[in-house]
Amino acid sequence: MPEPDRDLTRKAIAQALAGLADTGHLTVVEVAADGVTTFLLHRDGNGRPRGRSWPATWPDLAGEHGWDADPAAAREAVLRAARVHPSPADVILVAASADPRAERALDWLRAAHPAAQMLRGDAPTAALIREVMADDPLTRPYELVVLLADPGTGGLRLTGRRLFPIGSRPGARTRVALRCTEPGAHGTALAVVTWQGPEPRLLSLQSAPLAPGRYDVTAELVRPGRVRFTGLPALSPDHRDWERLVGSLPDRLPGRAGPAHLVCAVEICGADDQVAERLSRARQMISFASGELGDLLRVSLLAYAAHSFDPSAPEHPVRVAAWNADAGEALDALGELEEQGAVTRGYPYHPQAAQLEDALAAVAGRLGHTDPAPAVVLTVGGRPPHPPRTDRSRILPCPRRHDWRKLVAVLRQRPGTTLGAICDHAAGQAHPLWHELGATALAHLEAVDVRGLAADLGLTAPSPVHLPFPLLDETE
Amino acid sequence: MQPDPSRGRPDHDIAMWGAPGSGKTTLLAALYIALTKSGNGWKIVGSDPASSDYLVERTKDLLQGKVFPEASMALERYHWSLIGPPPRKTGFWNRKAKPGQPPRIGIGMIDAPGGLFGAGQRPAGGPSPQDGSGDPRRQELLDNLEHSRGIVFLFDPIREFTYGDAFDHMYPPLTRLAERMLAAGEFTDGKLPHHIAVCVTKFDDPRVLETAEARGLLTTDDDDPYRLPRVAGDDARELFHELCQVSATGSADMVLETLDQYFHPDRIRFFATSSIGFYVDRRARRFDWDDFQNMLPEEVDEDSRIRGQLHPINVVEPLLWLGQRLAAIRSAKGVS
Ligand SMILES: Nc1nc2c(ncn2[C@@H]2O[C@H](COP(=O)(O)OP(=O)(O)OP(=O)(O)O)[C@@H](O)[C@H]2O)c(=O)[nH]1
Ligand SMILES: [Mg+2]
Repeated sequence: MPEPDRDLTRKAIAQALAGLADTGHLTVVEVAADGVTTFLLHRDGNGRPRGRSWPATWPDLAGEHGWDADPAAAREAVLRAARVHPSPADVILVAASADPRAERALDWLRAAHPAAQMLRGDAPTAALIREVMADDPLTRPYELVVLLADPGTGGLRLTGRRLFPIGSRPGARTRVALRCTEPGAHGTALAVVTWQGPEPRLLSLQSAPLAPGRYDVTAELVRPGRVRFTGLPALSPDHRDWERLVGSLPDRLPGRAGPAHLVCAVEICGADDQVAERLSRARQMISFASGELGDLLRVSLLAYAAHSFDPSAPEHPVRVAAWNADAGEALDALGELEEQGAVTRGYPYHPQAAQLEDALAAVAGRLGHTDPAPAVVLTVGGRPPHPPRTDRSRILPCPRRHDWRKLVAVLRQRPGTTLGAICDHAAGQAHPLWHELGATALAHLEAVDVRGLAADLGLTAPSPVHLPFPLLDETE
Repeated sequence: MQPDPSRGRPDHDIAMWGAPGSGKTTLLAALYIALTKSGNGWKIVGSDPASSDYLVERTKDLLQGKVFPEASMALERYHWSLIGPPPRKTGFWNRKAKPGQPPRIGIGMIDAPGGLFGAGQRPAGGPSPQDGSGDPRRQELLDNLEHSRGIVFLFDPIREFTYGDAFDHMYPPLTRLAERMLAAGEFTDGKLPHHIAVCVTKFDDPRVLETAEARGLLTTDDDDPYRLPRVAGDDARELFHELCQVSATGSADMVLETLDQYFHPDRIRFFATSSIGFYVDRRARRFDWDDFQNMLPEEVDEDSRIRGQLHPINVVEPLLWLGQRLAAIRSAKGVS
């Protein structure tokens, strides 16, 4: 048979396949010299064409009495061989032989399927169908699963980047710019999904250990259901559970190490060893944060002691030993405080309270509302503040009538301000103010995990987070 | 403050009694200061060197050392005379007024350890007298109560908040006293013959002052340059009642009932007392509601201290009241 026949048959099958609904089935019955082969075509959940075949030779169909002896049985056998799907399906009959048995079988089939298309076939229909399926245009869009990061908050969102629209044919190509961060143990996953209705459906999942960086990736549609990526190291199939994979996604990108202002207020009244201990904790915190953030760290240091309640004894006001200085300067100032030791001790300095409220007033006043850098206020001490007025605490009121409740509220409401505290007492014994001062992190002087406290207060360099999917590079 | 033995022991002993730490010794010490400050012409004079020394010592502690007295370990007996300003006798024909006899109220105070009767103890140590029945000092206190006709009873509201044992300290000696008076035929109108000044001590404590303020019991004296809050005579009983409501044990109400049971209503008077008074800023020289605490928090192992000047409140008044009442009785008896 000449070539045009082959093309016609191919086109007819391709058309029938293209018109195949998601749930529909297409039956192609090839009646050839050696027998009858039935092909059943349908689409899978991703819209990708799938096919199966059932071949039957003439002897298979003739039955035990032979083709001529029992034509009715042979007819039944032929019709049964063509009925491979219970529900009524589109039927295409392909006549591929002039054999008399083939002619008869074709007649029976035409009679049984009067609506069936009749085609002439010369080449093997199986090859033809494979060709048609491989060249089937996409019936649903293909997308690559990527991450989008909110530039403000670093919040992460999974989304799809369109690779191939409906109707795309093998050979289609798309370029995508991707960015990878630290990959986890399983590498970065390239997941292709198809869209039909509200939910995407996973088509393929491959992964590779991608070094952090930007990748210009070309996606090529090899055939329906198969996308090849170039511009990446070799990918291998990834059999991880989809939900687990999505579940491993962090909420947000690690914050970029930004500038931070660490304000340490240290209580320097009471016993010398206690004061030394507090100052040494402040030193550890400043040193650690400086190691993490380098030049991005600014440090302030305030020292406060106990109020005098006898006018004949000098009042030692809150001392601002360093303000918005670099860590080195602040540590020098701290050294001076360490040398000096406790400044107030014993009568007539209040034995049970400290001018914590004055220290808060100094911090709140100096920080103001304008400095945009995030501030971390770290208070190191243990005594309660003086109340603004005589009350049942029986602690004498602050001579300046500072109200610690109002002052700590100012700090707590200040934008970008984090409050941490290292308290002499265990949380249960600490004055309520210490709980407010340690709103983000409250450590006990005797057991300070400096690294953990710094991390809680945002004073550590961000640790890499493992992203299971690539980020879409939107700078392109 | 010179001993005045020639005059002998006055016969109107006033006995002082209260739970441990209720402020008895401090009250005595503040008495001298209060009299001096009051400028009303009254003075206190020791009847013997020990009594004078005692007054000097306690007063010095309070004024200079700004420390409270230590817990009394022994019963100490002291005698003083409160001597008032001489009345000016103006005769019609006399161009020059002749000073009359100054009023003289004898006080024989005993500074007894507060734990003599009660089951409780002063928290910071002190004697441990459980019932103290065999204790000779207890006998002496009872003798003293029996021979006195005036009683200063100190009710410590702070102790009552925490221990609630004022009743335990008051009831046993009262019944003993009643037995003795009955035996002596002195239970004439069904009540003890004594006058009793019930002093609600530590009025300067924020908790006490707040209670008085909450009940609207405060007034100020127009003559008082510092405008210190006070509780007027009739309202002091209500303050006492109010403070009983927040007692730790709830038995404080029985204190009031017992007082009414044993003492004639005309012979009971309540005072809101503070030996140290309120703190007043030296420059402002005015009572400040924001900053009035005159008592300093104690440091570990140290006695409480006083912050500023002493401004004793209702320290002289109970004694004058008792003294005047007793003097009136005596002169009435003398006349009849
Ligand atoms: N706030 C206040 N506290 C007082 C006052 N007077 C005494 N105190 C306190 O009460 C404590 C006991 O006072 P004392 O005068 O020793 O009492 P006391 O009744 O003599 O005690 P004993 O001798 O143990 O029975 C003092 O140490 C003070 O802490 C007062 O006027 N105001
Ligand atoms: Mg005493």
